[in-house]
Amino acid sequence: MVELMLPKADRPAKGKTWPKPANAQRLREFHIYRYDPESGANPRIDTYFVDLDDCGPMILDGLLWIKNKVDATLTLRRSCREGICGSCSMNINGLNTLACTKGMGDSAGPIKIYPLPHMPVVKDLVPDLTTFYAQHRAIEPWLKTTTPAPEKEWTQTSPQRAQLDGLYECILCACCSTSCPSYWWNGDKYLGPAALLQAYRWLIDSRDETTQERLDNLEDPFKLYRCHTIMNCSKACPKGLNPAKAIAQIKKMMVERKAA
Amino acid sequence: MTDRIPDAVIANPTSRYGDAKASTRHFITQRLTGAINIVFVGFLAFIVLRLAGQDRPDMVATIGNAWVGLPLAALLLVVTIHMRNGMRDTLEDYFHGAAYQRYMMLNTAFCILIAVAGVAAILKLVFWG
Repeated sequence: MVELMLPKADRPAKGKTWPKPANAQRLREFHIYRYDPESGANPRIDTYFVDLDDCGPMILDGLLWIKNKVDATLTLRRSCREGICGSCSMNINGLNTLACTKGMGDSAGPIKIYPLPHMPVVKDLVPDLTTFYAQHRAIEPWLKTTTPAPEKEWTQTSPQRAQLDGLYECILCACCSTSCPSYWWNGDKYLGPAALLQAYRWLIDSRDETTQERLDNLEDPFKLYRCHTIMNCSKACPKGLNPAKAIAQIKKMMVERKAA
Repeated sequence: MTDRIPDAVIANPTSRYGDAKASTRHFITQRLTGAINIVFVGFLAFIVLRLAGQDRPDMVATIGNAWVGLPLAALLLVVTIHMRNGMRDTLEDYFHGAAYQRYMMLNTAFCILIAVAGVAAILKLVFWG
């Protein structure tokens, strides 16, 4: 049965307030979720102060400034720092987004940072995305064909290729899936917006020859139909993609197939 | 979350977690009954407004008219089908296994009760006054 409250051991407590940097003129306050499973202690919210004159403008810059100059134990994923890799996805001021593309100037007051919601936490801001990747694996995100491979390559016309726009750009940051209440409730059975966006990307690929098999695999009350068109996914996507529309298109394909 | 499904099962494209064959049918039924409800509920609202302030014989005469009573009976049927489907979605979210089966049975029984009682009451007015 669903759990409506966090277990006591998972409820964050007030943590340490780290000293303000000396001689700083412009400060920004960060409230950051800290959790170390090896310590056995409850998660806590630590408070840090970032010197804006010594730091870049993005939230990721602030986090790395803290890690480099205040508290080296702060743990987070990051790589490209320009919205391409999807590593630094986290919950910033209540919205799932990428720390590298979110500016500190985008909001007033303390910046509250948590890991992506409703995912097991490995440490601090690092969620365990194993299940998320297993769901991506489940939609078989590669070209599947039944006819013999051509000598050079599988070709597409420009309009056929254009159908993939708005779908192939997904960076698997998991911002959409972890913002979806349906995914929170049934995160193991419901594939989630990210996986379904990719499922649609392969369903409408003109070169793919296993559309019916892909639809068969998606036809399930949980894998696909847990989407209740809440639309948090489309609101959260830091790349401006529309997973809700892709899911609606898959449902449309299912209905058309049934009616045919 | 309890009894989480292993990642190896989740990664398998052919894994199933419910009645796969019925899932699209349920989706179509839900959307279809939802669309029909919009029309029928408009009709119901019109009837309710027409009967506002009138006494029982007027009400019996209006509902007893087959052109009014039979669409209302159809509305009740469609609404209860929609209700059962909607509740199924909710129950699937919150309950699993035996608990889900038990609540789903109660849901079906409740919807049948509402449909039978409502339609019987309307048909009585239409055919016997």
